[in-house]
Amino acid sequence: MKILYFAKLKQLIGKSEETICIKQKKKISQVINELKKRNDIYDFAFKETNSLQYAVNCEYVDLNFVITDSDELAIFPPVSGG
Amino acid sequence: MKILFQRKKFIESDFINKFSLNNKNSGAIFSFIGKVRPKNQNNKVLSIDIELYEKMAHFQIKKIINKLMKKYFIDDYLVVHRYGRVKPRENIVLIVVASQHRKESFRFGEGLMDWLKVKATFWKKENFANGSEWVDQKETDKKFIDFSL
Repeated sequence: MKILYFAKLKQLIGKSEETICIKQKKKISQVINELKKRNDIYDFAFKETNSLQYAVNCEYVDLNFVITDSDELAIFPPVSGG
Repeated sequence: MKILFQRKKFIESDFINKFSLNNKNSGAIFSFIGKVRPKNQNNKVLSIDIELYEKMAHFQIKKIINKLMKKYFIDDYLVVHRYGRVKPRENIVLIVVASQHRKESFRFGEGLMDWLKVKATFWKKENFANGSEWVDQKETDKKFIDFSL
């Protein structure tokens, strides 16, 4: 599954995207908990998960949304365009 | 009926004049321009960098346009939004709407801009002489959007 990071989150993690393999359906919150275990950088970046926004295949979703390996997950701070 | 994302700076009149000519039978043309303010709380803004998740921004803008088109009868629309580096006083966003009567254009344009502010995937970073800062979404922007759409 492809994960995209934007803005401040991209800056904190140090990359704009990565691919992870999820063998079975999972909630976004579970994926994030696994990422947090990787190292201090991820742990810090995902410290306040409620202040981030989540989108699967371009639709806004919440942390309880269930994703599969074929989805594109985007994680980012609230938008500030216009 | 176009949505354009571009790095290049633009002059609003180029788009508005062409749009107006293309919609010569419309009775109303609404336009809104969002620009870079040269100062933020007394700090001089040197430039802003706009990051874009293009696929989603397009998807979200089209989604609200489709909803607004069911509510308001309009003839045409144009959305232009810049990304990359933008300097103070330059245009960031342009929305132009054509309709037979003014209220349809006003309401469509306002509804579209309100949604764009909280749903379209752009992020601004302001660059100052002593560093840079990501711009937070304003709480007040969320109050304007019509959740019934």
